Amino acid sequence: MSDIALATPLEKEAPVTRRQPVTQESRATRVTLITLCLAVLVLLVLAPLGIIFVEATRRGAASALQSLTRPEAVSAIRLTLTVAAITVPLNAGFGIAAAWAITKFDFRGKAVLITLIDLPFSISPVVVGLSLVLLFGANTALGGWLVSMGYPIVFALPAIVLASVFVTFPFVARELIPVMVEQGRAEEEAALTLGASGWRCFLTVTLPNIKWALLYGVLLCNARAMGEFGAVAVVSGKIRGQTATMPIAIEMLYNEYLSVAAFSLAGVLALLALVTLALKSALEWRHADQLAATRRH
Amino acid sequence: MRALVAKSPMPGFGLGMGITITMLSLVVLLPIGALVLHGLNFGLANNWQVVGTERVMASLFLSFRLALLAALFNLVFGVILAWVLARYEFPGRRVVDAIVDLPFALPTAVAGIALTALYAPNGLFGAFVRDWLAPLGNFLLSPLGVEFSGRIAYTQWGILIALVFVGLPFVVRTVQPVIAEIEREVEEASATLGASRAHTLRRVILPMLMPAALTGFALSLARAVGEYGSVIFIAGNIPMRTEIAPLLIVIRLEEFNYDAASAIGIAMLLVSFALLLVINLIQIWSRRRVGDV
Repeated sequence: MSDIALATPLEKEAPVTRRQPVTQESRATRVTLITLCLAVLVLLVLAPLGIIFVEATRRGAASALQSLTRPEAVSAIRLTLTVAAITVPLNAGFGIAAAWAITKFDFRGKAVLITLIDLPFSISPVVVGLSLVLLFGANTALGGWLVSMGYPIVFALPAIVLASVFVTFPFVARELIPVMVEQGRAEEEAALTLGASGWRCFLTVTLPNIKWALLYGVLLCNARAMGEFGAVAVVSGKIRGQTATMPIAIEMLYNEYLSVAAFSLAGVLALLALVTLALKSALEWRHADQLAATRRH
Repeated sequence: MRALVAKSPMPGFGLGMGITITMLSLVVLLPIGALVLHGLNFGLANNWQVVGTERVMASLFLSFRLALLAALFNLVFGVILAWVLARYEFPGRRVVDAIVDLPFALPTAVAGIALTALYAPNGLFGAFVRDWLAPLGNFLLSPLGVEFSGRIAYTQWGILIALVFVGLPFVVRTVQPVIAEIEREVEEASATLGASRAHTLRRVILPMLMPAALTGFALSLARAVGEYGSVIFIAGNIPMRTEIAPLLIVIRLEEFNYDAASAIGIAMLLVSFALLLVINLIQIWSRRRVGDV
């Protein structure tokens, strides 16, 4: 009870007033800014997301689901899954190899190498597709020879995969490099001193340290590989039922005014994007300390 | 002279570097090399003749101008959004934080048809703008002689909206971690010395955010200049008016005019390289100025 007795005279001397903290904006400013941000995000991001499902179910959910069982939709889904199944492991392997070489060793030209790995982020997807056509097209030396050997690249699966690998090239490496720089080399050096082989050191020491960052990179890589449009549109040839990935099939259906079918397929990709975001956020909340994205850039 | 590779007891350099260089060469450098080689064979004068035509110049200028406008919007809005997400508490903040990344996760073609469905003249927002916003705006601005058609999709407004959409997360994601690192003491010191909150924000906080914000701006600009998937549905693709440069490459390729396509492609590649250089210079400059942030 002595607490209360003490508190009363103090309050009289300095009456408690709710003052604005000096490191915060006024309430009015805060409410205005929050409203502004929410309004722009609703207009620009949430409304487009919602309209996909509205348009897809315009003639009922059954009709939307039925349009997904059309042969061209099924083949597009299968092709997209195939492309992602090849692209993601390739880039995960590359990302681990590149991050290992870059973070565990000192060599000249490291900055140049990192810039080259980042290069695909700043090149237009259409230019990527164009470059592949100029390298592997049937009328080029290399492409013509490959076609005569029975291995067409452009307007076939290999070019679609190459285009997807190109545009998703930096995703895993970029996520792993900052994490592995921060973790340093001491743990690996200790393992090697204790007699572990190189592979054992990687599998039992490095991999557990980078597993969440690796998953994070793979997640982003997968989302982009399944959704890539520009680069694939140029090299796929858009052969219905054969080289049309899901985004290409969406464009074809949309241009034929098959709105429900186009938006149903788009809805599948939108759901995939939402799952990707959910998993990504879960990783960021649970394992923030082991990810590069949630810390300083 | 320093050794090319410093001696290290760590194994796996050969394997790691081998995979890295092989993949980089096969996937990235070889195709880009083919594009550059094609351009060189075609000849500098011929390339310039293609790029110098009115239609190509118009498309390049359109792509660059609208990308710049979109990136500027994203710069300002991105800093505000990053601040709101990092500093303010409000219900649903985490969901909003996750939603910001949707433009990264949503395939561009999907975004393209969704934005078109919304902003087309008969779409939800398109109809509202045509029937309400445009007449009101034209009524208010009529003394100035300004006339707005009320169309968003199939005009340059539509392209701008698509480019803002794809570039939205860049500035937010580069600035947000920097805000989280700012120590409150800095703001308190500024307030103690008599600065108003607005003065503190402008003179203390904003300069700290600038390098990250500019990096995000350049990334969003680079993305918007080359953007294709989300734009072509909403653009209307009228030559000289709403035809972006990547679309012109696709058109030339469909005509099997590889020389013209590669000339435009090289022009875009040069723009990309210039932007990449700017990004690197900003980072070097910011490291010198405020230390390694």
